[in-house]
Amino acid sequence: MAGGKKYYFEDFPPGMRVELAGPTLTREEIIEFAKRYDPQPFHVDEEEAKHSIFGGLVASGWHTVSLCMRLMCDAYLLDAASLGSPEVKRVQWKHPVRPGDTLKLRMEVLAAQPSRSKPDRGVVLHRWEVFNQRGECVMTLDGYGMFLRREAGS
Amino acid sequence: MAIKYYWEDFRPEQVFEIGSRTLTAREIIGFAREYDPQYYHTDEQAAKNSPFGGLIASGWHTVSIGMRLLCDGYLLETSCAGSPGIDELKWTQPVRPGDTLSFRSTVLAASPSRSKPDRGSVKFRWEVLNQNGEVVCSMIGTQIYLRRPAAS
Repeated sequence: MAGGKKYYFEDFPPGMRVELAGPTLTREEIIEFAKRYDPQPFHVDEEEAKHSIFGGLVASGWHTVSLCMRLMCDAYLLDAASLGSPEVKRVQWKHPVRPGDTLKLRMEVLAAQPSRSKPDRGVVLHRWEVFNQRGECVMTLDGYGMFLRREAGS
Repeated sequence: MAIKYYWEDFRPEQVFEIGSRTLTAREIIGFAREYDPQYYHTDEQAAKNSPFGGLIASGWHTVSIGMRLLCDGYLLETSCAGSPGIDELKWTQPVRPGDTLSFRSTVLAASPSRSKPDRGSVKFRWEVLNQNGEVVCSMIGTQIYLRRPAAS
């Protein structure tokens, strides 16, 4: 099932860059995600959030990551021979994401390495940089993705 | 909710065991349809022919459930003021429908802020475990906590 796809390991060379327009977050979406997965007061309660160190409601960092994952899926991941991810090296939440913020995602391939033990696949190290509408970087993520090699899938 | 625990209450080598929650196929598919609709997260039939041999949860779903367990365990009773980031996030075992997840938080280090005397950071190892005691996901997480006010 991972074969017969449009994109393989070879299609993610180092230096490749993709820019994706992301969603505008609403207060309701921020609260809904957080009520399920991260119900800290500054993610679920506008009044309490005003008195927090953030001075207002902010999105859960995991919500921001999840929205970016969806962007990657829609951009190319669903058309790729993806075998999932073993690891994310680092996630940094650099700036709060607030209701009304519009996200933009820049993905860059940092490295691509064929697997030594499994010749049918390779690992791609990518960096996500997420910006808000003011151009402030709100999040970065360095993570690995595993993909089948073209000769293995086609 | 009233704050019970401040920065001073976290000391290296403390371990918190929290749990648990059993995942259904419906929940796995529900999260994935919204945030990570790769076929092995959304389609039970197609997933059987995937490298995973069946439906598995999105790694971000596993992390999010870990976060919820952490919140319910103690985080909502703390002075936590967010997280600057995490390191070494690893998914070491697939999470499948029917798996019961629990959470283990181990304090690695605690340091006061140099620039802001009202707070400090705490570094943790966070692990999500399944019903067999296998670690399915682990990471190093850093959080900021306010220090205990002088009067209390």
